[in-house]
Amino acid sequence: MVPYGNLLLLAFTLFLMGAVCAVARRNLLMILIGVEIMLNAAGMAFVGASLKWQLLDGQAFVLFIFAVAASEVAIGLALIVYSRRRTGSVDADHYNLMKG
Amino acid sequence: MALYSVLFYVLATVLLASTLLAITRRQVVHAVVYLIISFIATGLLFYLLGAPFLAALEVIIYAGAIMVLFLFIVMTFSVESGETAKGEIYQWLPAIGLGVISFFVGGVLIFEVPGSKMSLNTGMATPTVFGQFLFKSYWFPVEIASFLLLIGLVGALYLGRQESKKEGKRPEDKS
Amino acid sequence: MKSYLFLLLLFPFAGGLILAVVGRYLPRRIAEWIACSSVLGSLLMAILAFGAAGGKRYLLTLLEWIRVGDFSASMSVYYDPLAAIMALMVTFVSSLIHLYSVSFMRNDRDYVRYFSYMNLFVFSMLVIILADNLVFLYLGWEGVGFCSYILIGFWYSDVVNATAGRKAFILTRIGDVALGVAIALFFLLLDQFSIFAINAKAPSLSVGTATLLGLLLFWGAVGKSAQLPLVVWLPDAMAGPTPVSALIHAATMVTAGAYLLMRLFPIIALSPTTLLTIATVAAFTGLFSALAALGQKDIKRILAYSTISQVSYMFLGVGAGDVAAGMYHLLSHAFFKALLFLGAGCIIQALHEEHDIFKMGNLRRRLPVVFWLFLAGALSLAAIPPFGGFFSKDRILLSTFSHPEPIYKVLALIGEIGAVITVLYTFRMFFVAFLDRPSVPEGFEKKDLKIPKFMGWVNLPLAILALLAATLNLPGSFGGNEWLAHYMASLPGGVPPYSAPSGLEWMMEIGSGLLNIGLLVVAYLLYRPPIRERLHKLLFSGFYLDRLYQIALVEPYQKLAKVFWLNIDEGVVDNRFDAAGNTFRSFSFGLQRWTTGRLSTYLKMLFLGFTAIVSALALGWYYLR
Repeated sequence: MVPYGNLLLLAFTLFLMGAVCAVARRNLLMILIGVEIMLNAAGMAFVGASLKWQLLDGQAFVLFIFAVAASEVAIGLALIVYSRRRTGSVDADHYNLMKG
Repeated sequence: MALYSVLFYVLATVLLASTLLAITRRQVVHAVVYLIISFIATGLLFYLLGAPFLAALEVIIYAGAIMVLFLFIVMTFSVESGETAKGEIYQWLPAIGLGVISFFVGGVLIFEVPGSKMSLNTGMATPTVFGQFLFKSYWFPVEIASFLLLIGLVGALYLGRQESKKEGKRPEDKS
Repeated sequence: MKSYLFLLLLFPFAGGLILAVVGRYLPRRIAEWIACSSVLGSLLMAILAFGAAGGKRYLLTLLEWIRVGDFSASMSVYYDPLAAIMALMVTFVSSLIHLYSVSFMRNDRDYVRYFSYMNLFVFSMLVIILADNLVFLYLGWEGVGFCSYILIGFWYSDVVNATAGRKAFILTRIGDVALGVAIALFFLLLDQFSIFAINAKAPSLSVGTATLLGLLLFWGAVGKSAQLPLVVWLPDAMAGPTPVSALIHAATMVTAGAYLLMRLFPIIALSPTTLLTIATVAAFTGLFSALAALGQKDIKRILAYSTISQVSYMFLGVGAGDVAAGMYHLLSHAFFKALLFLGAGCIIQALHEEHDIFKMGNLRRRLPVVFWLFLAGALSLAAIPPFGGFFSKDRILLSTFSHPEPIYKVLALIGEIGAVITVLYTFRMFFVAFLDRPSVPEGFEKKDLKIPKFMGWVNLPLAILALLAATLNLPGSFGGNEWLAHYMASLPGGVPPYSAPSGLEWMMEIGSGLLNIGLLVVAYLLYRPPIRERLHKLLFSGFYLDRLYQIALVEPYQKLAKVFWLNIDEGVVDNRFDAAGNTFRSFSFGLQRWTTGRLSTYLKMLFLGFTAIVSALALGWYYLR
């Protein structure tokens, strides 16, 4: 049937896709979306592991991941709105006051 | 059994394709919509992997709440795409390079584990069983999680509020 | 092997032809490239053929040429060690001279004509060297004569030059008639045009016939090589451009006569009369031209008379029966004479076409590169030991002296006198032209002496060869290995018929060496700046004692102090510390570039770190498994 490794690989691929999205895009919203994808992929890995070991701990953890992801998105978006109001740009490169 | 693997691979394909499309879209709205598809597929995958409760939660929370929140923000202040084509390759190239390297290394790691060749068993954790387990073993993290959500709520409210008049500034309204 | 020789001849011919036909339409650099690379290609082929032959002889037919009735002549070549060495020398010297010409003729607009005729000349000379068939050789013989005429009268707008070219052509033609008669006689008597076959059949000739043939060949050689009495064309031939003088009238065409005699040596060696004639004429020509050189003012005419004199030594060697000695001198002469001519060309161009040595001076300061190169050539020409010309000339004189006939001893003496005068005129030329002269003409000091550096440096290989030509054939009594003599031992006349006891050899070498050095001193004394002034200066400054101390003690000390200061103290100690500090600075500058303050950079770094951790995990897993 489906080998366990395939599932892990799927989760890892999604994780990397999220990482690439977070790293390669300059729009703050897209970075945040990348983070979301990464969290989702992690969750998928947990569910797969829980199925393999036939333990429910993995699924419980996924629940907490959801909680964290939701609150993080909320705060993140609020921050984005706030920064946009302050500086007028959602370009990541715009915020370079820490240069040097 | 064959149906299981067929479903798995179909879902996997949909998942990968929609995520790929999501991360490469110029317009944020398009990306969000593709991501909604991706999350729904994830939800179905969770169901296939024996976590129906989580599947429902995935669709409700992720696809239903988080992505909608994204859409609200995007549409609220009509975010321009911002990224020009010029510097894009310099952004993408290191990311893809590192991604490919990590993919291969991770692939090696994953498939070197002896257990990874074994097929998945089937199982189904009904919501009842899951709920009982959760509140038996993990009640403390549940409390913490709710606390976390409260903090998130407060923080978002604070950050999102308009500048009040008593600080002497006119509130900027960019709606 | 055949292809090497074929290409050896083809390259310069093709180069000349291409330049003649389309040279005008090509850019200048391309035309120069074609000319030089064709000769360089020949050089390469000569080297390859030399390496492939390894001392063996080859008789090859390159092309069927004439076939009329039962008369046929083909372009066949006979490649034996003699031809191998000669071909190497000619292609090498020609290549260098072509490169020099590119620089020398840089302001001349007729370069296409020049280079195409130079290439054709090289082709003709190579034909003479390699040819087996006498008709083919005659083609080359006429070819060099014709090209020589054209190139001497290259600047024909001046009537003097054209007249000089005509004079050269007519005089050599007188010699060529004899050669033509000799070739016809060969065909009549031996029914053969092939040199190889003729040499093989040589013993079948009677002494009288051999004498006739030998004298005819000698007359032909006399015309080409400017020996008495057909000698007057060579000094006038200096009207041509200097590289032409270097190539044609120093290294190649004038040696063609001697080469011809060496090729057909079995014929000549049959008749003692011929040998004696050759040696006598050679000795007297040598003396005559050396004396003439002593009285010349034009630097190129000095060198022209010098050429006549040196070529006569080669003939003397052949007349004494020692072909290897003649060849040895031919090689070393080619190097140092070409070097001297090219150096003279540098001087002439630098001084804006000034040829008179008494109007030159102070060149040691102003053209140092030319000074050293010219010195190398002069030392070789004057046969100062241990340089090239010394051993070659000495071997010729030794062979002449060892000949049983008493008259040869007289001829050897005449040759020695000629060598003495050689030292004198060489260093007269050198000292007058190069050393400091307090009384130079007005305006001379202000002249701009600019010549392209390339012209000077192209001569460097020649200088090295001129100086080191001794190594080609160092006599056994000095511990050398006589490489050339061994290489040519298989040729007729390769081994000198009369060897001298080694005691005599030692005596002669040392004696003539000391004599030459002594004469150098004499020449110096005669031709350096006037005595009175120097004596006065000497006494006034206390025999230059101050200067001695300055040179011997003060200056070295100052130099040493400077070295310690700049190089060691500042260089090593200070700079090392600075370098250490700088590495830290550059390191931190490098790191500073990473703190761009931009989010994208930090995200990339995060991802990089993630990849690194995963890779480390994988590696660890791999190695711990």
